[in-house]
Amino acid sequence: MSTLLEVQNLKVRFPTERGEVEVVKGISFSLGRERLGIVGESGSGKSMTGRSVMGLIGKPGRVTADRMMFDGIDLTKTDEAGYRRLRGARMSMVMQDPKFSLNPVMRIGEQIGEALAFHARMSAKARKAKVLDALEAVRINDPERVYNLYPHEVSGGMGQRVMIAMMVILEPDLMIADEPTSALDVSVRAQVLEIMDDLVRRRGMGLMLISHDLNMVSHWCDRILVMFNGQIVEECAAGKLHEAKHPYTQGLVASLPRLNETRERLPVLDRAALEKLA
Amino acid sequence: MIDVDSLNVFYGSTAVVKDVSFSVATGESFALVGESGSGKSTILKALAGQVDSWSGSIALGNMPLGHKRTKAMMRHVQMVFQDPYGSLHPRKTVDDALTEPLAIHGIGARDERVLSMLDAVGLARKFRFRLPHQLSGGQRQRVAIARALMLEPELLLLDEPTSALDVSVQAEILNLLKSLREERGLTYLLVTHDLPVVSFLCDRLGVLRHGKLEEVAPVSALKAGALTSDYGRELVERSQVF
Amino acid sequence: MSSTRDWLLDETPATRLQAQLGQGYRTLRALLRNPLTVVGLVIIIGLLLTAAFAPWIAPYSPIEGQLTARLLPPSAEHWMGTDELGRDIFSRVVYGARITLFIVLLVAIISAPLGLVIGAISGYFGGAIDRIMMGITDIFLSMPRLILALAFVAALGPGIENAVIAIAITAWPVYARLARAETLTVRKAEFIAAVRMQGASHGRIILRHILPLCMSSTIVRVTLDMAGIILTAAGLGFLGLGAQPPLPEWGAMISRGRAFILDQWWVATMPGFAIVIVSLGFCLFGDGLRDVLDPRQRSK
Repeated sequence: MSTLLEVQNLKVRFPTERGEVEVVKGISFSLGRERLGIVGESGSGKSMTGRSVMGLIGKPGRVTADRMMFDGIDLTKTDEAGYRRLRGARMSMVMQDPKFSLNPVMRIGEQIGEALAFHARMSAKARKAKVLDALEAVRINDPERVYNLYPHEVSGGMGQRVMIAMMVILEPDLMIADEPTSALDVSVRAQVLEIMDDLVRRRGMGLMLISHDLNMVSHWCDRILVMFNGQIVEECAAGKLHEAKHPYTQGLVASLPRLNETRERLPVLDRAALEKLA
Repeated sequence: MIDVDSLNVFYGSTAVVKDVSFSVATGESFALVGESGSGKSTILKALAGQVDSWSGSIALGNMPLGHKRTKAMMRHVQMVFQDPYGSLHPRKTVDDALTEPLAIHGIGARDERVLSMLDAVGLARKFRFRLPHQLSGGQRQRVAIARALMLEPELLLLDEPTSALDVSVQAEILNLLKSLREERGLTYLLVTHDLPVVSFLCDRLGVLRHGKLEEVAPVSALKAGALTSDYGRELVERSQVF
Repeated sequence: MSSTRDWLLDETPATRLQAQLGQGYRTLRALLRNPLTVVGLVIIIGLLLTAAFAPWIAPYSPIEGQLTARLLPPSAEHWMGTDELGRDIFSRVVYGARITLFIVLLVAIISAPLGLVIGAISGYFGGAIDRIMMGITDIFLSMPRLILALAFVAALGPGIENAVIAIAITAWPVYARLARAETLTVRKAEFIAAVRMQGASHGRIILRHILPLCMSSTIVRVTLDMAGIILTAAGLGFLGLGAQPPLPEWGAMISRGRAFILDQWWVATMPGFAIVIVSLGFCLFGDGLRDVLDPRQRSK
């Protein structure tokens, strides 16, 4: 498996009233054309990791890394203009809530087409055909109708599929999905994940799936990174989460209620001890 | 404790809850499960007196609940909301939030009541004068639970109280809810889409779909995978995948 | 000193008072971090001090002049020169600060609470109440402020009190709109539903839970509007409908100096400077306040 993204000693810092705070504390990982899950609780730095790869950490945050290579491109030396060429065309990001990511006063088809117009020259007709193809690829049954809808006229699940269509139309090599299904119903979740899964398999895309949902990630990814307190505390193969060795991961798995729950009390993480350990 | 009989709730002219009847015994913990749009939250809102356009009957103990609630009725039923960020006033300290219900009902000995409630929900006393933005999600939800309990209600309505929390924090809040019920003999009506939470916290559950109650079953049936309705089994199947 | 600071910034305040003082101290510190805000604050404090100590600051009487010393240019004796009746312009400008402050404060005290309450009630209840109240508000909003104030003064008679009433009547609709908009964003919030479930009355919800959330944006808006209020007052004075002679109101002073603008420029210019500086002070301070108080900017 070829390496698509390689990150070494990535740090993200933010200045605060009480000095600089490190939210990502020197993590290293690599991603091939596979599905990599990053799990952790809020404040673990998982979203910041995704955003820093996309070059989306704005001022006053600071991103440093010893090495951050994306398919032969040195991301540590890429400036904003360079990132703009990369984003969309080579790497793209799906956010949690499609409502905030879509322009409310623009028809869905036009919005998807706009990304295309920005990165590739083609006739309006060819563009529309391509947009319709993309909508079909995310399993929208009547692309013609959805093409002409406004974002508020579609449901959450449909909105998220539109977002993905927008991302995949340029056939990026890397997709970072930050909690792509948390705003969706369980029944819609499966569809959205299947679509992303399909893209990884058929188009050889690399997927970074960022989520707090242990079960979902262990079910849908090839590999899992567990983040705690800005660090990667554990890496394990998917489905092997129950064999995890780090006490944080073990604690997380144990604290989830089960369908056939028999415990009187759920075990709770001992944060103080974990922070000492880390 | 609570009897709901042929409840219909309308938004405009469409019924979002259709002919739902169930009852919850005193001290019982009952769950309404279903996906979004199933009407589960709407039923809770009708019980809480937050939606007006319903028909049928709701009775609390022997007391029928009408469309207009009196101040005295409200003391019996309180609610914990889903979003710990939206359910606390951004400019009011923990102390303000907890004393407000006492002030509304003219209850005295406020300092003692606030302090003992902080202890009861496991929130250190040093948090008393903090503002919501100085608290974590789990701490906020503890404040919200404390606020709901200040008036010593018998029935607590729980609207997905842990779905916005991290898993480890969810465990803490679920433990808290469970022990509070045991200590105070509370009756819970929980709305959620999360079946494992139901399995941990509840005695019985009702499965809702498109505003209709598909089945009511004991939690033992859920644990044994013995729900009778097709839709109930479908929900169980899906939650095993995730 | 540092222990006081630590006490104020304590993350775990022990009493209600400490929590409130701590919040105030944080706000103040955030305010003072912006140099332009400090400039605005200094100007406003300067205005307050000038108004308070006018008799001690002013070297001459603002009312009585020496006809022998008419229209003298600025000099060491008369820092801003004298006007056509031989009155010291500096003294008049200093006393004028009192009138300006009087107008500004009174307008704010009348119009801001009025607008807040109307807006909050309108937004909270919605429906017919909202439509009627906002209809009235829109009527007031659609008319130019100075013209409306003119009409009121014409009806009530010229004079400084009537000018204040007229300006206040024209100023409240903005606050009503603002308070309504803020109310609409919070009235469906869960924390409002929670107090309603606890049995709070509508009045209590509006007064204790909704209005505090409208306060900061209104305070910001009032501060920014101060400049406009000062200008409207000056405009009324300029047209002879505000403060009456011999009161040293800045607008009226400019109006009288207009006759000599070509040969004795200082007569009209000096009070003009005062108006510009004080307006600027309120604007700068208002901008700073907005950055600090606006909850949307502070949410992090």
